[in-house]
Amino acid sequence: MKEQVKEGRKKLEEELRVLLGNIFVPEAKMFGMACGCVGFTSDLRGLQSDDMQVFREKVTTILEEISESVGVKPEFIYARKLPGTEEVVSLTARELCERCKRELAGSKSSPRPDIVVLKKKKSGK
Amino acid sequence: MQLMIPHPGHFSALKEIIEAKEAEGMKEVVEVFMGGSPDVMGSGRGVLHAPLIEEISEQTEYAHQHGIKMNVVMNSPCTGGHHLTFEGYKMFKWYFGELNKAGVDAVTVAEPYLVELLREFPMKTVVSCLSYVDAPQRAKFFEDLGADMITVDTNINRHFDLLKGMVNAVKCDIRLIVNEGCLYKCPFRYPHYNLASHLSSLNQPRAPLFAPDFYFDKCINIRLRDPTQIIKSAWIRPEDLKEYEAIGIKGFKLSGRTKAVNWIIDCMRVYSNRAFKGNLLDLLDCPQMLRYMFYIESDKLEGGIERWKSCKKMCNECGYCSELTKEALTYVK
Repeated sequence: MKEQVKEGRKKLEEELRVLLGNIFVPEAKMFGMACGCVGFTSDLRGLQSDDMQVFREKVTTILEEISESVGVKPEFIYARKLPGTEEVVSLTARELCERCKRELAGSKSSPRPDIVVLKKKKSGK
Repeated sequence: MQLMIPHPGHFSALKEIIEAKEAEGMKEVVEVFMGGSPDVMGSGRGVLHAPLIEEISEQTEYAHQHGIKMNVVMNSPCTGGHHLTFEGYKMFKWYFGELNKAGVDAVTVAEPYLVELLREFPMKTVVSCLSYVDAPQRAKFFEDLGADMITVDTNINRHFDLLKGMVNAVKCDIRLIVNEGCLYKCPFRYPHYNLASHLSSLNQPRAPLFAPDFYFDKCINIRLRDPTQIIKSAWIRPEDLKEYEAIGIKGFKLSGRTKAVNWIIDCMRVYSNRAFKGNLLDLLDCPQMLRYMFYIESDKLEGGIERWKSCKKMCNECGYCSELTKEALTYVK
């Protein structure tokens, strides 16, 4: 697993650099939360929300591939912005617990203003 | 009863909150509140959005179309003295003027100087719970400064004598926050909110902090070691709102503007319906993470309010909350 996480970090950084120039991914990790969610997340520097929107589909696909490589179903993929700015500071793919399916991914709007939802598995699927 | 609802700040969230309110006929919901621009001032809560005046104007217009008032929260308890500089004075005055032109109905502030400055504008002045109004005398001071509404320090949510005294002492409206889970008489309350004020503003500490979550971590640790502290906190069960209405308090504010939209809507529904079955911790804004550790059966807290109404807060002599904790709290497996 640790090789996949290391590879995932490297792949994300390399592919974002090809698309967007100087992007740095200082850290990538898998996580398991008390609520039941598991996921893959990567810290980012150099990426802005507008740029990410242009390559939204491509960024989502990269995250899906990395997520699956570490055994996480990419049900909910999102970017987190530094609050009040357009700087994207992390990208996360998450396999959701039942509570978060409703609370986090169940609203029509983004659950919070600092979260940009890139992919959300439709309910019932 | 009037309910004030937290709004995370993005327009789509406001639309969803109002859509739920209208679909389910929640007439008690009269106001939403959102943070202002962190370029002007920090906030008692984390700032997740930095709305420009134009956006505030659009959202206010939308809220008004649906019969909802807009309140902009600028409740930093510490500006580092910026408000008392000529630059700060001009900035706050300019910003209040812009909010007024945007149609905003009310501004929530904690700093007494800003309470007074807001007298120059027709918007209502709401005193934040971070002004720590915890006695009739303090309420009177703020009313004299220009307060139209006072959000009471949550530490006295169960001090009915003080609440009654406050209602009698002032003409302005009194509001209570119903779902804050902070420690009763928390030793970290003032420094934590001062720190949050700086971290959510441009007026940052000069060097990186080695422990930006120091107070939060301490607060969680205390409750994990002593869950009775959760029961002693200032939350108000939806079923118990009537006890406060009986002493003349009609305004109830939900905390949670940094939380997910669907969680906010759930809480709005529960307090509007005045009934809840389940884990009380699901309703508390902060700290939310405890709901994954503890389960507090809300039904088993029935009747607690009768005890707290006359409670002298001499915890070392009483033990009621410890007994209630044993009855109502279990560990999530």
